[in-house]
Amino acid sequence: MIEVQGLSKRFVQGRGRGARAVQAVDGVSWRAADGAITGVLGPNGAGKTTTLRMVAALIEPDAGQVRVDGIDVAREPRAALRRMGVLSDARGLYPRLTARENIVYYGRLHGMSQSAASARADVLAAMLDMKLLLERRTEGFSQGERMKTALARALVHDPANIILDEPTNGLDVLATRALRRALRRLRDEQGKCIVFSTHIMQEVAYLCDRVVLVAHGRTVAEGSVAELNARAGQDDFEETFVRLAFSAEERGHAGLA
Amino acid sequence: MIGDAWAVFRKELTDALRDRRTLLMVLLSSVAIGPLVLVLISALVSGIERQAEARELVVHGIEHAPTLRNHLLRQTYTLRPAPPDYERQLQDSKLGDPVLVIGADFEADLARGEPPVVEVVGSSANPRAQTGMNRLMQLLEGFNHEQATLRLAVRGVSPAALQAVQVEERDLAGPATRAAQLATMLPFFVLMAVLYGALNAALDTTAGERERGSLEPLLMNPAARSALVLGKWGAVASVGMLIAVLSCFSFLPGQWLLRSETLAALFRFGPPEALRFLALLLPLAGALAALLMAVAIRCKSFKEAQANATIVVLGVSMMPLVNLFSQEGEQPWHLWVPALAQVTLMGRVLKGEALGPLDVFVPLLVSAAVTALGVAYVARTLRSAALR
Repeated sequence: MIEVQGLSKRFVQGRGRGARAVQAVDGVSWRAADGAITGVLGPNGAGKTTTLRMVAALIEPDAGQVRVDGIDVAREPRAALRRMGVLSDARGLYPRLTARENIVYYGRLHGMSQSAASARADVLAAMLDMKLLLERRTEGFSQGERMKTALARALVHDPANIILDEPTNGLDVLATRALRRALRRLRDEQGKCIVFSTHIMQEVAYLCDRVVLVAHGRTVAEGSVAELNARAGQDDFEETFVRLAFSAEERGHAGLA
Repeated sequence: MIGDAWAVFRKELTDALRDRRTLLMVLLSSVAIGPLVLVLISALVSGIERQAEARELVVHGIEHAPTLRNHLLRQTYTLRPAPPDYERQLQDSKLGDPVLVIGADFEADLARGEPPVVEVVGSSANPRAQTGMNRLMQLLEGFNHEQATLRLAVRGVSPAALQAVQVEERDLAGPATRAAQLATMLPFFVLMAVLYGALNAALDTTAGERERGSLEPLLMNPAARSALVLGKWGAVASVGMLIAVLSCFSFLPGQWLLRSETLAALFRFGPPEALRFLALLLPLAGALAALLMAVAIRCKSFKEAQANATIVVLGVSMMPLVNLFSQEGEQPWHLWVPALAQVTLMGRVLKGEALGPLDVFVPLLVSAAVTALGVAYVARTLRSAALR
């Protein structure tokens, strides 16, 4: 379970007089339960990636708290990371290593033995349907193959909490479907807590049990797709998203009102 | 911590060693070039030796000077007539010997007591011919001296009257020092080999990792950042050290290829010297690895890092020049400067001088300090580098 409470982060860009402060995240709060897929949905620049980076202890928040299975990330980042598998926005692989070596390397960094990590790579390969890829060097992998390898790498230590930052970016429809299938299995068979950020509402509608709508660094709504539709008085989730995430003024500027 | 660092070390080393094409280029450019240069020098030296051993002179118009000819033959030289276009051949470096040109009136002038003019023709743009000039001048000097002595003897004057001062030459350089002169480039080659060996691996584990987007996921592992950096540094330093070992030992077989026996006898670089080189180079390899990583971690791409690393490469390659240009000779502070200290001390090893414990300790201390600073800087910068 992941709990985010009142998280804030300000970045200062540039130096001296040209410096400009950007409030990337402004008091975001949400909760992701075990055995459920929680979608963090927001337009580009809403602060999704920054929030997830703070959850993964990569950035220290200015204010607020993140708890992963009750562990305070700020106080015990390494203990929290052991309970998380993160597929971040950047998912570079080592091109001269095989997919298995890429996965086993992360297993070793999680304190697993060589043989345990290698056995786990086989299990994950079966689940993600990438057995044929395992012994190939990742140089020349397609986007979908890269994503699968990166996901297997993030899950090598069998974490209870899985965080995925825009995982479907750059994937074709078949790869996207394969990913959805894998995530559902992780939820249904293993009761994982899965957090999934995206700016594509179809993804959320297809997959998520709960949705957290964020805009301008704040949580604007939280609930299931049906609940949010009811709240906005709309049948179409896209319309709900636009109504809830953007102010009337912004909609007017974009010609959506 | 140790386990994590070991895992990173193993992965980075495998990764670096799989980069075959780069490794091959490093091996070719840094490890092979030293022995190659050695062989080229030896070919040059043996050519000069052959020229000296041949005791052959190229003369134009010797038929006009029977007396001189007699003198030269008595010095056991064989005379070869110059080709008609000797001037052009000398200019084009086709003729490897200077030419002695004798005028038609030589013998008559000599008999009359008027100094006949002879020319020694060479070209300063023709180094092969230039090395024979001295010898030819000395031979002619000998002839002059002989003639003068004879004339004095005829007039009943002691030849000693001609010699107010007796000059003798004494060369303080032993054979080993002479060889060291030739081998001054050797430390430079091994130094550059170590630098180029560490360069690619250092950039790949830092700027390369950023460019691939694999640094951010790496930091989402529960491993301590210091463990990650230590493992990376260990791998880069190992590659540098491997190249150091290969390049030092490549000079041993290179020695067998020396064509000149004198040179082979003078060029003293055996296994003990190679080991002393390594004692100096291995800590430096560690320091250079840390320094290159610290420079590269600030760069977003491999290309940018290459441009930035040029400064380190330039700095290291300029260091031996300090020794060359320094008018005061070796200074105590030289030992406190990385690269310069190693070049200086390797030069001493080649001269056959002993290294004191302090000589080895000071550069070791400096290398360790540079390593510690570099590794600490990379560990501190790692997280902000992942996000930018």
